[in-house]
Amino acid sequence: MSDAALNPVRLNPTPVRTIAAKDIRDALRDRFILIVTGFLGLAALVALVTGAIALRNDVATYEAAKASLLALGKSADAIKAPEFYPLRLLRGAIEQIEIIGAAIAILIGYRSAASERGRQTLALMLTRPMRRWQFVAGKALAGIGLLAGGLALVLGGLTLLLHLMSGIGLGADDVLRIAVVWAVAVAYTACFFLVSFILSLHMKQPSHALLVAFAIWLTLVLIAPQIGDTLDPDNQVAGGVFKQLNIAKPDQIEIMKGFATFETVRDGIEQASVTKHFERFTFAVLGIKATYAGMPLGPILIEMLGNLIWIFLTALGLGALALALPLNPDRLAKA
Amino acid sequence: MEAAPSPGWLIARQSARFVLRERTVALLSLMFVVLVLISAWLGWSATSTVNRIYLDAAAFLQKAGQPVPTNPVLDISPLSLMRNMSVYVALIGALSAIVIGNRLIGLDRKAGVLPLIGIRPLGRNAYAGGKIAALTGLILALGAVAGVVAVATFLMLPAITLTGTQWAQLAGFMAITTLYMGIFGLIGLASGAWAKSETVGLLLPVTLWLTLTFILPQLTANLNPTAAINPISALATPPDTSFFHWAAIVLGPVSLADAYKFASAGLLDYLPQGIASPSFNPPVLTLILASCVAAAVAWRALTRLSMTQGDYNV
Repeated sequence: MSDAALNPVRLNPTPVRTIAAKDIRDALRDRFILIVTGFLGLAALVALVTGAIALRNDVATYEAAKASLLALGKSADAIKAPEFYPLRLLRGAIEQIEIIGAAIAILIGYRSAASERGRQTLALMLTRPMRRWQFVAGKALAGIGLLAGGLALVLGGLTLLLHLMSGIGLGADDVLRIAVVWAVAVAYTACFFLVSFILSLHMKQPSHALLVAFAIWLTLVLIAPQIGDTLDPDNQVAGGVFKQLNIAKPDQIEIMKGFATFETVRDGIEQASVTKHFERFTFAVLGIKATYAGMPLGPILIEMLGNLIWIFLTALGLGALALALPLNPDRLAKA
Repeated sequence: MEAAPSPGWLIARQSARFVLRERTVALLSLMFVVLVLISAWLGWSATSTVNRIYLDAAAFLQKAGQPVPTNPVLDISPLSLMRNMSVYVALIGALSAIVIGNRLIGLDRKAGVLPLIGIRPLGRNAYAGGKIAALTGLILALGAVAGVVAVATFLMLPAITLTGTQWAQLAGFMAITTLYMGIFGLIGLASGAWAKSETVGLLLPVTLWLTLTFILPQLTANLNPTAAINPISALATPPDTSFFHWAAIVLGPVSLADAYKFASAGLLDYLPQGIASPSFNPPVLTLILASCVAAAVAWRALTRLSMTQGDYNV
């Protein structure tokens, strides 16, 4: 049997598929993608394991306190049992994807564009019989495909670990929720891939593009949510301002009605970042946010539709921009 | 006749000028300055909001006939207004320092001037010393800008008066801030000299920064990444388990972000009572030791840099 019969790309060698397949082969060959995926996997694993150890400690503390109360002949109702939702243990891992996953996407986007410019192969490729959008689409598909594969490995590994160590196992609904999170994580990281890819392809010096992409990452991923978080009055006093003032939840809501404008501004700063939309969506789907714990997936998806639309529209908008921007002949080689 | 400047001084001056012309360095430095200004505003805004919430809550509690606790704002030192600066230094300050360090070497390598410098009558030590001096000058300038913003904020806010001790504490905070940025600048310098590829030269220190900022705090104190960048939430007590005790002993002395966070909280008076750094090493000592190690690594990388090196590989 010939090679062509075995290789689907050769059977139907459209430029988009050829470029995408070549980029994926290159990325896997130089082990860069494996190293960065390994790093993300390590960060996510650390988050999962430390979270599980802390939870186990909470359970042990509760059991000890309960045993003491029962030994004294008192009711154990006075102390609150720690809640256990296995998917909640993914909180740290989701935050690592939010931060490190986006940074990795920037690096993949940079390499995708900068490698062609650095090897002086971009001008050569554009002499081939293909349209420029096909070149850009092929590169973008490869980059997003690599991100999807890396995230699938990381989230798949975490799912397996969670299933084995949670003690109660994961059900089909849990796996479905993780699959939904994976799809949204691909769209979220694709936004950062595309930002970096566009900048690296169009800026005079690709290394400057990488730094500008990191400046955007800092602003969207860390600074905007941090400002919103810092302005949250409950984060200003250790333990929370209302807790320190011994004010019950319904009364807190009543008091905060007087701070509606402040809360709108704070929320607006957070909403400006695609990262916050990703966080809100994933925290709801996985039940990390207490109000969504135990709630069926359908109503959560309906409630979180706004966040979902924001993430996908950002990715689609950036994708359209990447395809629409004409390649500048002065930017075909490394400056 | 005026004495000719030393080769090390010439290298330092030329390198600093060259780097300052870089637009990306200017962009990151500008971001740092803007964020330092924002941190001053955030501190003021958040504190005054808590104060207003307290006044509303006090009225509410009085009306309900419940006891009114003391205002938590009264327990807060005016220095803690600057608490957000510690977060921005750990984020953009460290990243700016990495870029400055990387560019100080990267520009020479990309311009292909290393072989030319190599044939000049100057030793490797003069080259290394000049580069480290340039980095020191640039980081000190960034630290000075942050210091001026902090001092101006305290002088402008009418209701705030700092005591002599508090001014000294603020000076101490600015010193450790500069030291922290300096550590990352030196790592950027070393990596820029050592790496064969420009991407790897940037990637290595950025990976180290990500590890120190987001992964080690999780191991030493079960701190999730978003909590690690909130000045108050980041000061949590680790769970009382043998895993976290051992993690603090083994990783505490190298957990630089933790050390900077706790040193800042101590100096700016927002460290909650009963909470201490997970490491057995005092935070300031950890930072001083780390800067010595980073300086030694940078010196070694610079003095072993082949002067026949041309541009980076792709």
